[in-house]
Amino acid sequence: MKISLDWIKDFTQLPEKDADSLATRLTLGCCEVEDVETQGLFWEQIKVAEILEIEAHPEADKLNLVTFDYGAKQTKKVVCGASNVRKGLKTPYAPTGVLLPNGLFLEPKKIRGFLSEGMLCSQEELCLADSSEGIMELDPSLEVGTAMKDVLNKNTDTVLDIDNKSLTHRPDLWGHYGMAREFAALYEMKLEKPFSPKWMQKMQSLQTDQASPVKVSVEKDCAALAYYGLSLDGVEVESSPDWMQNRLRAVGLRPINNIVDISNYVMIELGMPLHIFDRQEIKGGQVHIKALSENTSFQTLDEVERELLPGDTIISDNEAPLVLAGIMGGLKSGVKDTTQEIFIEVANWQAAPIRRTSTRIGLRTDSSQRYEKSLDSLLCERTLWRTVELICELCPKAKVIGKIEYDGEDLTKIPDLKLSLGKKKLQKVLGVELSDLRVKAIFESLDFGIEDKGESFEIHVPSFRATKDIEGQADLIEEVGRVVGYDNIDPVSPALDISPVSLTNSQKLQRQTRDFMVYNAHAYEVMTYPMLGQKNLEKCSWPQMNDELVLVNALSRDQDRMRPSLLPSLLEACALNAKQRERFHLFEWGRSYQPSSKSFCEEHTQVALCMYHPEKSLFKELANTAERYMRALNLPGDICERNPKFKNQVIDEQWNGIHPYEFFNVRLMGKMQGAIFSIHPLVMRDLKMKGHLSVMFMDLTQVEMKAPKDKTKYRPLPKFPGSNFDCTIVTKKGEPVAKVLESLKSFKEKELQEVKVADVFELDKDLKSVTLRASFLDPEKTLSGDFLTQAGDKMVATLEKAGYPLKS
Amino acid sequence: MLQKIDEIYTDFQKALSQLKDQSEILNLKSQYLGKKGQLSEVLKSLKDVTDEQRREIGPHANKVKQEMNELVQQALRNLEVEKINEKLAAEREDTTYLDSVKSEWTPTGGVHPRTLIQREIEDIFLSMGFEVLDGPHVEDEFHNFEALNIPGDHPARDMQDTFWFDTKEGEKKHLLRTHTSTIQVRGMLERKPPFRFIAPGTVFRCERTDASHEMCFTQLEGMMVGRDISVSHLIYFMKTALQEIFKKKIEVRLRPGFFPFVEPGFELDIRCLICQGKGCSVCKQTGWVELLPCGMVHPNVLKAGGIDPETHNGFAFGLGLDRLVMMRYGIDDIRHLQSGDLRFNSQFKTY
Repeated sequence: MKISLDWIKDFTQLPEKDADSLATRLTLGCCEVEDVETQGLFWEQIKVAEILEIEAHPEADKLNLVTFDYGAKQTKKVVCGASNVRKGLKTPYAPTGVLLPNGLFLEPKKIRGFLSEGMLCSQEELCLADSSEGIMELDPSLEVGTAMKDVLNKNTDTVLDIDNKSLTHRPDLWGHYGMAREFAALYEMKLEKPFSPKWMQKMQSLQTDQASPVKVSVEKDCAALAYYGLSLDGVEVESSPDWMQNRLRAVGLRPINNIVDISNYVMIELGMPLHIFDRQEIKGGQVHIKALSENTSFQTLDEVERELLPGDTIISDNEAPLVLAGIMGGLKSGVKDTTQEIFIEVANWQAAPIRRTSTRIGLRTDSSQRYEKSLDSLLCERTLWRTVELICELCPKAKVIGKIEYDGEDLTKIPDLKLSLGKKKLQKVLGVELSDLRVKAIFESLDFGIEDKGESFEIHVPSFRATKDIEGQADLIEEVGRVVGYDNIDPVSPALDISPVSLTNSQKLQRQTRDFMVYNAHAYEVMTYPMLGQKNLEKCSWPQMNDELVLVNALSRDQDRMRPSLLPSLLEACALNAKQRERFHLFEWGRSYQPSSKSFCEEHTQVALCMYHPEKSLFKELANTAERYMRALNLPGDICERNPKFKNQVIDEQWNGIHPYEFFNVRLMGKMQGAIFSIHPLVMRDLKMKGHLSVMFMDLTQVEMKAPKDKTKYRPLPKFPGSNFDCTIVTKKGEPVAKVLESLKSFKEKELQEVKVADVFELDKDLKSVTLRASFLDPEKTLSGDFLTQAGDKMVATLEKAGYPLKS
Repeated sequence: MLQKIDEIYTDFQKALSQLKDQSEILNLKSQYLGKKGQLSEVLKSLKDVTDEQRREIGPHANKVKQEMNELVQQALRNLEVEKINEKLAAEREDTTYLDSVKSEWTPTGGVHPRTLIQREIEDIFLSMGFEVLDGPHVEDEFHNFEALNIPGDHPARDMQDTFWFDTKEGEKKHLLRTHTSTIQVRGMLERKPPFRFIAPGTVFRCERTDASHEMCFTQLEGMMVGRDISVSHLIYFMKTALQEIFKKKIEVRLRPGFFPFVEPGFELDIRCLICQGKGCSVCKQTGWVELLPCGMVHPNVLKAGGIDPETHNGFAFGLGLDRLVMMRYGIDDIRHLQSGDLRFNSQFKTY
């Protein structure tokens, strides 16, 4: 919203400060000034000049060097191409550094080898005419050096552009009078009160005993809070005077005619929108304010056909809708050039329905924007009389016909808002000492009533702040704080209790996981979107569509639902990267979203690590990494083979993206909460990927809640040496070594420490040999040769029994 | 006789320096120090001298003998080192052919820049006694709006474009949280004052994306609740925390700002770090940059969190983490953060 300082000065004095410091004070004490703009500065800078001498430009036929006096100590010389230059002519001169009305910025410029400083202006250049010939010829009686501002009766104005968002909660600041009150409070200046009860009485006396030509009736269940109507005759529609046009232009409005301009002017001045009808267009002498009961098509002033729904509030005559309440008038009912009889509407509407309708039809107007903020019904009458005052000023023949017509809530029943403000509380919350006198002065300058009640103040909130802005003590504290200025509050450290803090288990797990993935798995962390589309899921044949977690207002169909798992979006990221690089490892720590009948949505913490290689499968490396990961973080888990009795809980084992052989379950806290597998070549093809991709994937939702147990158990160092026993068996090439080791589960000796695979050797195309190493230790004595022979024989026998003969 | 010993020593040194072979050195050794060696021969005549002379010559001769032995050992060792080094030279590898110069994949990794910044900030707040919390992404209206003093028809609901889930008539409406302030409520309900916590996390806005807008980005919420917490505490605290975050002296100013969950509410500006307040394009010539919203927690929010606003109060603030990430690294497009493109992520190599 734009605020004209010239207009503000109608209501309060402003200190002699530059516009930027006024803007800063307003920003720090009230609302955000986004821009400061001085309008019409050029009218002060452009001066009347008298031409003294003319010489031909030595290098150009049509140009002259013109010497002139413009009231400065020295004369100036410029290059001028106008045909009407002559000695003694008075004409406007714009020096360098001026931004002309047409947007041209004057810089010193060389014209055909001659430095020309500034220029003599034409009417066109000053935007005084659409086109003009030669330089402007001024009245010869004008004094040299007079500013054009005085010649043309133009004024300069500083306009502050306020960020509307910073006014969301302040319905009273949507007009200049309200802003003037802020300036008065911030600078401790007097606020003029032209709209006094006495003035109201004077205006009310304009009413006549005639019957009002238009009656008003507010129907139930519509958005109206208060509706005032008044008829006037004898109006002459013409252009509004310069001063009014200047002010409207200054705040960014286009002047139209005096009546329309007055309605805009009053809205901008007092913050309350109004509407003026051509009374001839009101059929039947009555306006009805009502909620629509059926779908209705209505053409608004901007010539757009609007589809209105049942419940939208309109103002209609006996035949048809005239105005879309609080938003915009109809095309027909507005004031025309020929209008003589008018009907003024000043109404107040409930904020929410106006906002709803305006948002729905996509029409946000100066009017609806104000009503959305909850305006004060008690300001309607003032607004009405201010409108009448201006109409009578601009159209002296205009006459009020009849009386104010009113319908709506009983305004006398609007309760006064009185709040208590504890003196101690005020100082404690702001952290600054304030005298009672200062607090009183601040509230009074903002038109609040205030009474000292000893320990507290009783504050009487003015109606224009009580519609929703000021509700409680905290709001009152803000009023004091902002006027005092927060930069006048010294920073002080709070006195805090000592209490230990640490990251939660889940946060520690998160940090350790990331570190492991980076330092041990050599992976880069990626973050993919938590939303994805059906297409994305279908592309990798993902078995779960998450249709229950679809967004109503997704930005695109590719991101219209919450991901059921990290994997689909990670597979997409892998496909993207496989195009660009040879080999990579990447991981993500993130959430997946599961529909839930109890809580709507369950969020799961998941981690996934992907390893890609163009030529070979990294499955084993990945499985090793997964084992290292669980060991490094003390996770209660291990990897195990597929087992139809224990279904994987986080991945559908039937998903055709899973490799038939390169697959392990990850068992966490006894449940299959993860998997390690390679992506099936067919799904790789669907994803347009060549090469091999293996994935480790775990759901840590259960695990992250519990602190991991450190299972390390220290044993004293053995005093006696241990011994190893090696034996080599022969088996089929396809036999997993894990199965060979498994067969030794029944081989038990108290001295046995472990059995591991020492070597695997391919014998021929069908057979391989596996060397097993058992290590034995007795902490009490050195093992005897007899014992070793005995134990070795037992081990060999166990193996042979399981079908693994000793290599001969 | 002393002179003779010294001469022998000099001759020995000269001879030794010429030798390049182990056996020659050993020969030389026996030639001088052996039983019939030159030095031994000389020392045999020691018995013929006076006691006084013997007391002088004896120790000297022993010293020379010891030094000669040491020289031999040294020469032998040098010879051995030379031999080993020759072998090492033959086996020498190109030690500059390191992973860092290879074009093929080498084992490197790195966390996401968001993780880097988030950890750094978490640690700063932990050091000041703040807990770190998070909450669900999928929220209900109560936690995202009502509890934060944003009732149904409040215009603030317009300011935030919310992603809504498809819910059946009569069911609780669900949405994606539009701010981390939702965690305020959960945090308050779970603890008793005094407390302080931060809540970094992902938030969602139904907003067209471009280089500086994302529909999904990260914020950090902070809250301190206790007795008699004041605006002056808030200013002190924000200044201290921001100096730690930016690792620079920071000047802050508060100005009124409207956020339904705080009252009074503020916009916190910092003195422009680019121009130090002189005015530049980053601060739009004002010398100040809008950094974060903050304020004293609204009594209604405290109530929703189960805290009596008569006895306790506090402040809260919000910080855009992605903005800090982008400022720190000069990232030109916010969409890179979630692209999954390793050309972006691999620039944040941790090792």
